[in-house]
Amino acid sequence: MKCEDIVHAIPLYLYGEVTPVVEELVEDHIAGCAACAQEFTLQKAVHAALDTREMTVPAGLLQECRGDLTRKIARVPEHQRAGHHSGVGDWLRDLLHHGIPMRVPVSAMALIAIGYFAARLTGPVHSDVPGSLTTTNAGLENAGFSSSIRSIESQPSGSVRIALDETHRREVTGRLDDEKIVRLLLAAASEENNAGIRVESVGMLKECAQSSPVRAALLDRVLHDPNAGVRWKALEGLKAFAGETAVRKTLAQVLLHDDNPGVRIETIEVLESHRDDAMVGILQDVFQKEDNHYVRTRVQNALQEMHATLGTF
Amino acid sequence: LGGVARDLFGVYASIVLPMVLAAGVLATRMATQPDEATLIRAAQRGDAEAFETLVRTYDQNVLRIAMNLLRSPEDARDIYQEAFLRVYKNLHTFRFDCSFHTWLYRIVTNICLDHLRKRKVRREESTVIDTPEGPLDRIDHFAQEGPGGDPERHTWNRQLQEKIGSALEDLSPRERMVFELRHYQGLRLRNIGEMLGTSEEAAKNCLFRATQKMRSVLGEFV
Repeated sequence: MKCEDIVHAIPLYLYGEVTPVVEELVEDHIAGCAACAQEFTLQKAVHAALDTREMTVPAGLLQECRGDLTRKIARVPEHQRAGHHSGVGDWLRDLLHHGIPMRVPVSAMALIAIGYFAARLTGPVHSDVPGSLTTTNAGLENAGFSSSIRSIESQPSGSVRIALDETHRREVTGRLDDEKIVRLLLAAASEENNAGIRVESVGMLKECAQSSPVRAALLDRVLHDPNAGVRWKALEGLKAFAGETAVRKTLAQVLLHDDNPGVRIETIEVLESHRDDAMVGILQDVFQKEDNHYVRTRVQNALQEMHATLGTF
Repeated sequence: LGGVARDLFGVYASIVLPMVLAAGVLATRMATQPDEATLIRAAQRGDAEAFETLVRTYDQNVLRIAMNLLRSPEDARDIYQEAFLRVYKNLHTFRFDCSFHTWLYRIVTNICLDHLRKRKVRREESTVIDTPEGPLDRIDHFAQEGPGGDPERHTWNRQLQEKIGSALEDLSPRERMVFELRHYQGLRLRNIGEMLGTSEEAAKNCLFRATQKMRSVLGEFV
């Protein structure tokens, strides 16, 4: 290999992207060529210098992103949701979605045709069996009504008995000063199977945190919710009440025990908005135990601004 | 005979028993943690928990790539959201003909490349601000903040970061992407080529051009 080839091979050699044969050729050549050895040293130094540029993701950003994603997914229309796509329907949707120039008029005509034939062909369907359901299957799936089949039994008469659990959907609209709305939001804030709903409801409840039950719910969420996005929202709602003893006591627990650095940083910020000397001991304790560099720095700054020492003596 | 038995028991207790225990722990873990294909299939059926597990497996790396490439928490946040929403909406199209990692990174790199191209057109440097001491990358400032430190070293570091920053700005979006994935994410050029829809050779050439540009800017400084 000539010097020119070696110089070309050096960057890939440094990334381990050359074959063992080329690797050996480069090493042999460098051992006997001062100019190439100098070039190798230089490129190696550039390579090492570039390592210093690697970014660290700001504390809390990942958690914020996860919270935002949960909220955005909750708002994804039903037909775009994972699990909603299936075979032919999916194919047809993709076909309509991706660039058929006539899709609008064709879709409109298709809808008119469907409406026409549906009106012609369907009507109230009655079962022959007295006392059984008189709606069609389509009727069970209309908006605001969902059902799941619990059991199916065949009857001696040859008919089928189907047991359904039915849930009726109801929509309630109202302002945040409406007690019923707040009650529903409080129930939603502890909806254990849906973090997205909890984030949304806590996000709204924080607007009416002057009410004691709401504040109690926010304190409960900040301490016990498994989702950091919800805890974060609840903390925001408590900011205006950082002076209250119950709130400060809870925040101290969060600061000492929450496993999420973003939440711990937000807690420090809430505590800082209403300083008192009682927090010094807790902050000193956190400073001794905290593993996260950024959280430690925030605690350190807070203690310095309170003219307190970092350690206890 | 009793001594031999004791020795055998000692060997059993010190070597075999821990191995059996370790195998047991491993087997239990494997049985309780679903593999990735199972998770993907569950997420494709609409299992929210499976989707969340998939997101959490990869999202730190995705955010790191976005931060490194765009050097702005706001842009990184946009990329994170756009990428995982796209994954959520298109997961049903994933057919296991490549690894999920490659499929996901293909989405992420496409979005990042779009952002980088738009930024090139706008000549935007969202993280660089003017200060009385000259231009300052807020991100570097943020990353380096901390107690103590040698002031001379700090100045040298700052100058080095400025040089690297300007060298990176001179790369084309594609060179920037290949460089990021190889240097900071440690991916092999073969995978990078697959993610970017190109050959290993093309990725190699791209990396070579990027390193040459870096060398010409940083060569005199290091």
